[in-house]
Amino acid sequence: MLTSEEWMVLGLSLRVGLVCVLLSLPAAVILGWVLARREFRGKVLLDGLCHLPLVLPPVVTGYVLLLLFSRRGVLGGFLEQTMGFQVAFTWKGAALASAAVAFPLALRAIRLAIEAVDPRLEHAARTLGAGRLRVFLTVTLRLAAPGLLAGALLAFARSLGEFGATITFVSNIAGETRTLPLAIFTYINRPGGDAAVARLAILSVILSFAALVAGEVVARRMRRT
Amino acid sequence: MLSIRVKRSLPGFALEAAVECPYPVTAIFGPSGAGKTTLLDLVAGLLTPDDGEIRLNERVLFSSETGLNLPPEQRRVGYVFQEDLLFPHLTVMENLRYGYDLLSTDSRRFEVGPVVDLMGLSGLLDRRPARLSGGERQRVALGRAILASPELLLMDEPLASLDQELKDRIIPYLRHIRSDLGIPILYVSHSVAEILELTGQVIVLKAGRVLAHGDFFHVVRHPEVLPLAEAHEFENVLPVEVVAQDGARKGCRVRFGNQDLRVPPCDRPVGSRIFIGIRANDIILSRKQPEGLSIRNAMRGRILDMQDVDGKQLVYVDVGKRLAVEVTLEALEELGLEVGDPVMCLVKAHSIRIGPNAD
Repeated sequence: MLTSEEWMVLGLSLRVGLVCVLLSLPAAVILGWVLARREFRGKVLLDGLCHLPLVLPPVVTGYVLLLLFSRRGVLGGFLEQTMGFQVAFTWKGAALASAAVAFPLALRAIRLAIEAVDPRLEHAARTLGAGRLRVFLTVTLRLAAPGLLAGALLAFARSLGEFGATITFVSNIAGETRTLPLAIFTYINRPGGDAAVARLAILSVILSFAALVAGEVVARRMRRT
Repeated sequence: MLSIRVKRSLPGFALEAAVECPYPVTAIFGPSGAGKTTLLDLVAGLLTPDDGEIRLNERVLFSSETGLNLPPEQRRVGYVFQEDLLFPHLTVMENLRYGYDLLSTDSRRFEVGPVVDLMGLSGLLDRRPARLSGGERQRVALGRAILASPELLLMDEPLASLDQELKDRIIPYLRHIRSDLGIPILYVSHSVAEILELTGQVIVLKAGRVLAHGDFFHVVRHPEVLPLAEAHEFENVLPVEVVAQDGARKGCRVRFGNQDLRVPPCDRPVGSRIFIGIRANDIILSRKQPEGLSIRNAMRGRILDMQDVDGKQLVYVDVGKRLAVEVTLEALEELGLEVGDPVMCLVKAHSIRIGPNAD
């Protein structure tokens, strides 16, 4: 049904999406809690900084990543020297670009979910002898789980559609960084690529739709228990 | 024993209190916004005092002098909130065991089985809080707090969200905690009726200050406390003498001035002087001596005053002592009552509460 190239593009897109979720979710949980529960000087600034990728042109996000993570960039050089880990122009870079762009979406969902947890439930848990971390894990996070799931889903879906930051940061390398949107873009620019574009577009619709339905099914199950 | 000496200012409000609570149950009484919950939060460690010291038995929980401030989880102070605050994602059993499971075996003072029995929860253990009634939820909250083996239990109007019937059903459980488990309780309420069910010892707070402190029947004579007591569930407190014990079925008889009243069974010997409580809305006013009514108690009096307090119509009747009676506006107009009119105050024996000894 699918050509081997299409399988490759699909597999890469899924892999990038999953790693994007794994990268953005922990940071979104920690910062979501900080923004929901703590009051401190400069909170507005941190809030703004976290949401910047949401309003910034993705190309600019990609450019900033390029500055930071290219082999001569501050972080990129450090990663390569200490761990031999290269991000620029690899699929890991594509996941990182997705994560940067998807992070504010995940953060928003998780922050709202944590804000919706009655802080007095946390107080009750503490008077029962649970320390801060235990309360966070057994009460706050557990009750915010549907929001966590929504955040993960948003991040995954955003990653499936990521284009601008990715192509700026890691370019468009077949088999390495050519995810679904980039493949569609490639075929659009190629004479006679119409059929391939249509097939990939349908694939993209099915994938996004499946992600939404799966998320809704899990969310319903969570609400029931 | 709990001793508190704290100062704490919050936006638009400041609390300053210095009290000692050597009794099994001490009630904190006062109008809304008096600082009752703030005081409990300070003891629990959910709020930090600006200044002062809090001691529980020999342990210092907070001291601004030494900079010690135990976090809530190390204070061993249980807290039962106005809303039960059960964990909605856990079953009743899991809720009950939340604090219990965090304790080492030798620091557990109570076991799950007996507490489940005491609180009457054995049929509910697998349910989620959403499938419990209000009274059941509050009993789970009590059991959960007890199983964390606290050295002190704070209760912030635990019955306020329940109707009268449920309150009457929960109060025996509270008495069990006090008498059978021996956990001292600091009990916030703005219902005098509720307080008298549990203790005679009160701290009266108003606008962040301790207005009075001690035995309720002494405290209530304070000119600022009396109107407060009357405005909250309008409990009338009468000093009476037990004159006859007619057994468990008929209850006992007490004398108030020159009239006899029938009250529910009590275990005080004939001749002892006690207080009884009658809620203002449990009293019926009648112009004439009633006939063919089942009500046993009729006190003759004269109307002293009529007032509208917070939308409630209060008629004050002199029956040898000032009695507050709550009536509806319609009844007031229909009866055409005037100050000075003679009236009968009718009370069912079972709506009279037995208070502590007067001596």
